Amino acid sequence: MIHKKPLWYWALTRCRGLQAVLLVLIVLTIFFRVFPLEMQKRIVNDAIRFRKIDALYLYCALYLGAVLLAGVFKYAINVIQGYIGQKILYELRTGLYRHIVRLPIPFYRRTPPGMVISSVTGELASVGDFLGGAIAVPAVNILTLLTFGIYLFTLNPLLAVLSVAIYPFEILLIPILQKKFNRLNSERVTTTRKLSNVVGEAISGIQEIHANAGYPLESRKVERLAKALLDVRHRMNLYRYGIKFTNNFFQSLGPFLLFLIGGYLSITGRFTLGALVAFLSAYEKLYDPWKELMEFYQGYQDARVAYRRIQEAFDVEPEFALEPSDRPPVALHGAVTVEDLIFEVEDRVRLLDQVSLSISPGERVALVGLSGSGKSTLAMVMAQLYRYTQGHVYVDQWELKDLTKADVTPHLGFVSQYPFIFDGTLKENIIYGRQASLSDGNPSTESEADEPPLEEILRTVESVGLTEDVLRFGLNSVLDEAREKALGQKIVSLRRQFRAQWSDALQDTVEFFDAETFLDYSSVAVNIIFGYPTEGGRPCEILPLRPRFRRFLQEVGLDEPLIRLGLDVVNRTVPLLRDLRDDPFFFRQSPIALEEMDTFQEIYEHYGTATPERLPPAVRDLLLGLALRIIPGRHKMVVVPRELKDAILKSRALFKAYCTERDPDAFVYYSETAYLGARTLLENILFGRLKEEASWAWARITEAVVDLLKRENLYDAVLEIGLDFEVGSKGDRLSGGQKQKVGIARAFLKNPRILILDEATASLDMASQNRIQQFLDGDIRGKATVISVAHRLETIRDYDKIAVMKSGRIVEIGRYDELLQKKGLFYELVRGHG
Amino acid sequence: MNWSADTDKGEYGSSTGEPTYTCELDDNVEWLRKTEVFSSIPLERLRVYALMCNRRRFRRGEFIFRQGQPDDKGYILLSGKVQMVREYENHSVIVHDLEPGAFFGGLALLADIRRLFGARAATDVEVLYIERETFRKILRQFPELIETILEVMIKRIVSMEEKILERHLHECVLV
Repeated sequence: MIHKKPLWYWALTRCRGLQAVLLVLIVLTIFFRVFPLEMQKRIVNDAIRFRKIDALYLYCALYLGAVLLAGVFKYAINVIQGYIGQKILYELRTGLYRHIVRLPIPFYRRTPPGMVISSVTGELASVGDFLGGAIAVPAVNILTLLTFGIYLFTLNPLLAVLSVAIYPFEILLIPILQKKFNRLNSERVTTTRKLSNVVGEAISGIQEIHANAGYPLESRKVERLAKALLDVRHRMNLYRYGIKFTNNFFQSLGPFLLFLIGGYLSITGRFTLGALVAFLSAYEKLYDPWKELMEFYQGYQDARVAYRRIQEAFDVEPEFALEPSDRPPVALHGAVTVEDLIFEVEDRVRLLDQVSLSISPGERVALVGLSGSGKSTLAMVMAQLYRYTQGHVYVDQWELKDLTKADVTPHLGFVSQYPFIFDGTLKENIIYGRQASLSDGNPSTESEADEPPLEEILRTVESVGLTEDVLRFGLNSVLDEAREKALGQKIVSLRRQFRAQWSDALQDTVEFFDAETFLDYSSVAVNIIFGYPTEGGRPCEILPLRPRFRRFLQEVGLDEPLIRLGLDVVNRTVPLLRDLRDDPFFFRQSPIALEEMDTFQEIYEHYGTATPERLPPAVRDLLLGLALRIIPGRHKMVVVPRELKDAILKSRALFKAYCTERDPDAFVYYSETAYLGARTLLENILFGRLKEEASWAWARITEAVVDLLKRENLYDAVLEIGLDFEVGSKGDRLSGGQKQKVGIARAFLKNPRILILDEATASLDMASQNRIQQFLDGDIRGKATVISVAHRLETIRDYDKIAVMKSGRIVEIGRYDELLQKKGLFYELVRGHG
Repeated sequence: MNWSADTDKGEYGSSTGEPTYTCELDDNVEWLRKTEVFSSIPLERLRVYALMCNRRRFRRGEFIFRQGQPDDKGYILLSGKVQMVREYENHSVIVHDLEPGAFFGGLALLADIRRLFGARAATDVEVLYIERETFRKILRQFPELIETILEVMIKRIVSMEEKILERHLHECVLV
């Protein structure tokens, strides 16, 4: 276990080969550091004194060579040292993280995420920096000190003893200061963790903060901690630089003594001048290693503090072993027997009390009760998420407590009420459970190898009722190059068929791209180009900035009318929305975005009644940009005059000619025979655009498109594209129901023997709920034991067993009708629901 | 060219009778003003409602909403005819015929309820609808409107109830 090892363990046991190389380099470096001193002495005493030019050259060359080599070796030492540090850090970090993710759920109830994050990132980094040099730095510096010391001693024992005599004082004084520094440093770690917690919490709770305008409250929390940090950092500096000062002071005492005594000796002739020069140089050289030792000492202390704090924080054992050590993992069949189960949390609060329940393989059991009755807790205990205190939970004949994760997870599917969705694609999220159990916790480097086959994923997607969403994601995606190459032509060939069959029926829903008509559901810019810029980006943002485009507008006489349109849009939109700025909801159908309101309100107030010709160029640019992004069919407050539409329509062909002549590759023009890379798959099939993103419009489209796609064998390909939909951080691009379905699919895909649903269908509408119920009744029936914490009691009518819970106990157990007849708690629950 | 003098009617050409410069928003405002519930709302607020409304067409025979289903919208009939239908086990009864300008399904704006009857397009129709979420968001922005709107809504419910009671009374007398 990473966190149990002492700090030095890492330095002494890791990268031993490199450490040995390092030591050899160190010895060499030290030699090349002393060598120049000898040369110095010889240059003065031998070459200069006896005027030997040749000797001077030789000594100087040797001096230079030695200095150069010392430098090169030092460089190598630094690089190796850094590498060792980072390598150990890598091992520490991954090891610590492996440990952290396995820590029991209750640990995370009391540990804020910010603290974990700052441990794994910042705090550990300082440990790594230290460990890199943990052997090399003291070795190199102590050896250097010793060598120079000995050298000094050979030059003049008396001077040597005198100049070294000051060090013991330092060695006594500095640790005292350091101890105080360490205490403050530990305090700093605590404060920094608190700060990360507060910031982390604010980010997760940003919705609440906005809703209550809790900005000052939150800022104050951070301010308080930042102030504390300022304070502790300042006091730390007092000690840190106090140590430096002490060090410097004692260091400068040295030369003072040397000049005094060495000078005296030299004058009286008992010491050569060359020797004195060498001595002084050597003494100066003592300073660096000493300083480095001091820094090393401080670094060591910092690392020790950080390491100890991390050790303390994560000194918790995982509740369940990862895999069995003395047997292969067992295969479970799905019988669950609970006997006198007791589950306690802190302060001996009993969440489950003497619970007994026996479930045969393939049975369906519901746990019901009011909230707080312990039904979810029981489900989580059975899912091996909590370690129970007393009693037994047997899965088949095995005690659940003694089974490892490798025994249980491949056979168990658990769906919580709010399944967590990871940042990544929809598919990654769906296959998460399956992938984790397939790869035995060691994901292979090629993730594809672990993936279940596409048909299986799609079947699961269908069984949870997610197919329609996946289809929609697929149809709304813009294909990447590889897919465009594979599918583009097939899609293009669908267009004509589609048009022939559906154009009349979808007249209300789709606006087809027609070169001869004005497109009410595309922007004015797209209406001019009838295409899109090759390099990507939104034409209404790119075009106004292009001088050539402006010249074109002037030539065809569209410049003024468009700016006039922009001003008209401002005049109609600003008064309508200026009071509604606190809710982005109202800006959904507005051409002016919420964050642009200030700019355009200013234009409205200053130039609302001005004639376009009089407007300053900057305002004209803004208004032109605004006009170009108008989508007449969507932006209801706007009216694009018919004559302007006609003029735009007329300019279309001119624009193409104009651009083809000057820069033929700048735009891709809509063409019935080419795939439009920047448009979505759906727009490519339709060769048109949806008039409205409403669900009824989608229902119509799906009906038409699915039929066609299936006929052309492209349906699965589109679903596959939809599975690559990026769900966003925490799945925020999915609806609540979609997230829930992903969570259920994740569990279903594992083909579990035991399926535990903790109010898993609570946020689904009736239709979706029925579909999942159907799957449970049909495909899963008998193959898996289903344990369901249920809130809607009508869904559990024909369950084999219903356990009614109250205050941590099972108070009634039986079939639906039996329990109703009993007229007990269940009867009341059902009545309450009705 | 003189652009500003040009006219362009709303997308579906529902004319308000005046050859002025109307956008869909203005047109929506006109429709809202004609309905009882919205008529007492000041114009500038009404424009916000008009902005957040959407239009939709239904073909003859299609259901706008169905009895017993949840639905979160209130509707104004713009063109065509809509029948309110109450379904029973083996027959259905047309409760009401609606003409353009009628506001229907409005209770759904106040609460999450299941429809007591269905609304079927008797001809090709166009409706203007507003969703509950939008409706509530606007009320949250302008709380002074709550009173006005609630009063009208409640009056509508009361008058409906009165009609039902009357009918019952009638039946009682007959029996």
